Amino acid sequence: MTNSFDDLESAGCIFAIGTNTTACHPLIATRIYRAKERGARVIVADPRHTQLGDMADLCVHHRLGSDVALLNGMMHWIIENGWHDKDYIAARTEGFEEMAAVLAEYTPRRVEEITGVPAADIEKMAELYATCGPAALLYAMGITQHTTGVDNVKSCCNIALLCGNVGVAGGGVNPLRGQNNVQGACDMGGLPNVFTGYQPVSDPAVVEKFSKAWGRPLSSKPGMTITDMIAAMLDGRIKALYVIGENPKLSDPDWNHLQHALNRLDLLVVQELFLSETAQIADVVLPAASVAEKDGTFTNSERRCSRIHKAIEPVGNALADWEIVCRLSTAMGYPMDYPGGPEQIFDEMAALTPKSYAGMSYARMGLDGLQWPCPSADHPGTPILHTRGCTRGPGKFHAIAYQDPAEMPDEEFPYFLTTGRMFAHFHTGTMTRISRHLDAEQRTGYVTIHPDDAQRLEIAEGDLVAITSRRGQMEAPARISADVPPGNLFLPIHFGENPANMLTSADAFDPLAKIPEFKVSAVRIAKARAA
Amino acid sequence: MTSIQQQVHTWLEEGRVDIFLAYRMVEGHPLPHAFTRERIDETDTLVTGPARYSLEKFATHIASRYPDAKIGMVARDCNQRALNVLQVWNQLKPGQVDTVPVNCCPSLLKPHADCSYLEPKPAGHVKLERGQDPNQSLAQADTLPRAERFDRWMYEFSKCIKCYGCRNICPVCFCKDCSLEHPDLIGTGHLPPDIPIFHLVRAVHMAGRCIDCGLCEDACPAEIPLRLLYRKVNAIVKDLFGYETGSGDTLPPFSILGDKPTMSPQPLLAVSQE
Amino acid sequence: MDLKFVPSICSYCGTGCGVLFEVLDGELVGTLPMKTHPVNHGKLCIKGWNLHEHVNSPLRLKHPLVKTFGRFTKVDWDKAIGVATDRLKAVIAAHGPDSVGILVSAKMTNEENYLAQKFARAVIGTNNVDHCARL
Repeated sequence: MTNSFDDLESAGCIFAIGTNTTACHPLIATRIYRAKERGARVIVADPRHTQLGDMADLCVHHRLGSDVALLNGMMHWIIENGWHDKDYIAARTEGFEEMAAVLAEYTPRRVEEITGVPAADIEKMAELYATCGPAALLYAMGITQHTTGVDNVKSCCNIALLCGNVGVAGGGVNPLRGQNNVQGACDMGGLPNVFTGYQPVSDPAVVEKFSKAWGRPLSSKPGMTITDMIAAMLDGRIKALYVIGENPKLSDPDWNHLQHALNRLDLLVVQELFLSETAQIADVVLPAASVAEKDGTFTNSERRCSRIHKAIEPVGNALADWEIVCRLSTAMGYPMDYPGGPEQIFDEMAALTPKSYAGMSYARMGLDGLQWPCPSADHPGTPILHTRGCTRGPGKFHAIAYQDPAEMPDEEFPYFLTTGRMFAHFHTGTMTRISRHLDAEQRTGYVTIHPDDAQRLEIAEGDLVAITSRRGQMEAPARISADVPPGNLFLPIHFGENPANMLTSADAFDPLAKIPEFKVSAVRIAKARAA
Repeated sequence: MTSIQQQVHTWLEEGRVDIFLAYRMVEGHPLPHAFTRERIDETDTLVTGPARYSLEKFATHIASRYPDAKIGMVARDCNQRALNVLQVWNQLKPGQVDTVPVNCCPSLLKPHADCSYLEPKPAGHVKLERGQDPNQSLAQADTLPRAERFDRWMYEFSKCIKCYGCRNICPVCFCKDCSLEHPDLIGTGHLPPDIPIFHLVRAVHMAGRCIDCGLCEDACPAEIPLRLLYRKVNAIVKDLFGYETGSGDTLPPFSILGDKPTMSPQPLLAVSQE
Repeated sequence: MDLKFVPSICSYCGTGCGVLFEVLDGELVGTLPMKTHPVNHGKLCIKGWNLHEHVNSPLRLKHPLVKTFGRFTKVDWDKAIGVATDRLKAVIAAHGPDSVGILVSAKMTNEENYLAQKFARAVIGTNNVDHCARL
């Protein structure tokens, strides 16, 4: 997030696109509620009807995968009416003319044809966003999990820059992070192309710095993403996989394809709390300590790095992940020993991460945490990014044309399928489905289907529906609801016995970010069995 | 040492209590803390506020594991009412909890106390137009026409994210099986939950039980004015049965727990007049 | 008789709500919201309120497991680490360090992510490090 949760409450307008906030980030929804009740205007755009849509000033349901068109349409109307922030654009951005040339084609009428959102609503959205500022844009995986994920994100940035909403209080481009420490995992260099703090592995000076600090020669060749690794497992370039606290067998696209890939490995080591679907097929399973059983830090969506404190001893012989990594490393001939525990590891990391974490320490963090960038020990942290211009210099507009998702419904596969989360469960369900109170809320998987489609296919509530895509087939009990538009289905991703990734494609991903298009697949459905 | 710190020190030292529940400042945050004889020096750090946690609920957790434990705690008026209710319902033995009363209501000595409700945050204009003002009195809330009252409550309930925080934080909610999780009463798996039944089932269970501490409203991510709702059910109990929740040592006039219902028929006239 | 309240951060979504773990005699008995936390102001969602339940699940893994002939055997740490690293070394010897992939985790701490990517880069010798940010 460029801005902070507190800051959302001072927004004049909140535009939530591709986020089911009350279910997936409930305590951020609280901030939206507060802003709304204070008088901020709320716009919600989502192919499904969400709870947040109920309280919005304007709620639109655009066709799956049509985000670029929708945002371009809004920007077209903003420029058409002169609502864009000309001073801000002149002073702090570049590339406006090129973008405006592309936007010229995206009249509300044409965007209505692509998105299914009435032109009048597109015009109204544009007006609210542009004239009720500062406007905070919020998004989640509804924007990113597309073949055009990067285009979608750039379009969100475009509209924010267009109205002067980047670097101002109450504005910003605010991706809501789905996992407790996905921000931290990225910040810590858990990516194939960067060390900590996004220092590139392709930069010789950076490689030299880390090489010196770690006492080993390091590769300057960027590595593979998850998506690349799966392909590499299939063709034998990857022979061993070490998976820590993830369940790719359920979280990655195309179950069958992935199963083949994992089967070809010589070695699969899985470090986990539970015998997850992935751990079951591992060669070695290492039991890890849970959040309550160790010390350390997490970094949240607003870049706030906060302490967790050990509350109890780990169960059985489980060890904290850091202790396991130390043991593996030592056994590999590189002794890793941190008698000072996580704090000592943090200090080593901070010293190597000058721009963002260098000024942080456990003592400074307290219970409130610190928001990066925090470059020095006297720096208070940064609640709002880019207040004095963007990091790269002028904010860059990107001229982006709309493209269809990789798969559109056709005669053979006439339904749109989208996937996501429901409020009581989390990701692949390994933690939530064994929690009594969460399991009680939702015990089984389901597929949401529109009443019109259900009626035509004579599907009643709870009937088992067979869903088939070009990748495979699975079954799930029907939940009939007008929250999905006709011709659309929604499958939650939490349920291993109804695996949504049996249907999703491993070939459809964003060319740059390599994020799979989980949000759009084409499927056909049939009633499998009455309830 | 403050006089309260001194008093707790003495109580622990003399064995008047085995464990004492209060607060301690941890890196600028008041957190609940259990003081014991083994770590008696910690009493130097004891504070009484300003945050409120459900100390009496923690006391029931101790009591269920150590039925003979002598428990002490700092108590505001709402804590004391909760302790009364918990004793009435056999969650704590009479006399098991010894309290050190602490300031709660505004006084000359302390113009405002630590209760969040003494410095109410004004509600935003959209909430005032569409929902229920958490700062209004019950009498004010009752002046609106019934249909409008219903619409306003439905607006508030529609924001519910079904966290069950109202129940979880509640010092007087202790049932092992909760009606809110009974799938035949309330559907599961969707947001908002079934409204208004989810909130009304809880409201009914709060009649003669709610001690008006406001912890539920503080804990509500949707900021539903739950305290106002439960005041209403308690007002009905008071009007119909003359029962003042949390004030005495008698069970409320009706009970859905135990071997037999204890509700005795009372003039329904009062309801129709309301 | 020992009751503690330990401040921590919820490990479900990326909001990062402040919680207190209620620990009675070394046993995690509950989760409650930290009332003065700057992120959640004393409120939690259904997942946060039940954070302790997954920690206490009887299904937690309690011992390292090594699969031999298709079946898992409980082993001690030295054995598990020995098997994992012997086989890793064999893969690296035969196919080079870039034949190893490491998926670090959006669920573990910063310190652990830092060490895991250090392990991949300095110890294994590959930049094949990723995690589920995309998923």
